[in-house]
Amino acid sequence: MEYAIVPHWFAGYNALLEMTFFVITLLVGAYALKVHRLSGQRQSRLFGISFLLISAAYLVQSILNFAASYPMAEGCSMQSMVAFHSLGTFAVYAHMVLFMTGLVTLAYMTLKIRDFGAYALFLSAMLAVLLLSANKLYFFYVLSSILLVYVSFYYLRNYLKGRKMSALIVFVAFLFLLFGKIHFIFSTDHGAFYVGGHLLEFVAYTLILTNLVNVVRGK
Amino acid sequence: MSKKRDRLQIIFDILNVIKGKNGKIKPTNVLYKSNLSNQMFSGYMNELLQKGFIVENKSKSGKTYSLTQKGFDYTNKYRMIVDFSSSFGLGE
Repeated sequence: MEYAIVPHWFAGYNALLEMTFFVITLLVGAYALKVHRLSGQRQSRLFGISFLLISAAYLVQSILNFAASYPMAEGCSMQSMVAFHSLGTFAVYAHMVLFMTGLVTLAYMTLKIRDFGAYALFLSAMLAVLLLSANKLYFFYVLSSILLVYVSFYYLRNYLKGRKMSALIVFVAFLFLLFGKIHFIFSTDHGAFYVGGHLLEFVAYTLILTNLVNVVRGK
Repeated sequence: MSKKRDRLQIIFDILNVIKGKNGKIKPTNVLYKSNLSNQMFSGYMNELLQKGFIVENKSKSGKTYSLTQKGFDYTNKYRMIVDFSSSFGLGE
């Protein structure tokens, strides 16, 4: 598996940004589940679950990157280096599976269908392509981008339906998420794309948080 | 012509009618005040009973409906639910 190129100066900052994304997606997911509890809306539950999965994915990624930003102690045994590497690989897989499951759940929510079989098929097909591919990280970003194109179109239609500012903010946020993921596709070639992807995601999640704050404050 | 009501709005209207006369409103009154067809009304009432927003009270004088705590919470937080749902595209 190829890995993204992380510029030296960015090590640590990436983990900090991912921890921020974890907190924001956790808040949005929890709030969506609160809305589900109040309204009984099925879509709020799916939306909440998808954001909680994405949140868990960022938590794993952040912990992994925090650990990777610290140099290993001198005299570290070969055994512990192998164990650390295995743990790191497991964390990368966990991040990809959690994030992909979250995005598939979000895309399934936008389809507005009630068919668990379709969801299971959709998810298993995505995970199979991801896990059986030779370059998993590359395919992870490509598949995520494809799903985000679909989800962004859904939010564009949602905005055009009512032309509300809040819906526009969410649409723009998903566009930034899409651009961020497209940047990550090239992050195995150049570190600048890795940094760019993080910054674009930061803008996206800031917009999503802004919308959540506006909703909570009743603006 | 008034705009077509969405699902969240219809539920809010039904719950508000019941809230207005809590525990004393009969099905026919709810049907009349909620401005729905018979079929739609039955569908919504069944859903609200099933999801625990309202309870049915039976007495000698007939059936009445009242709100549960969940029903009260919905009417109080309706604006927030609508804002969250519309911005994140959660309408059903």
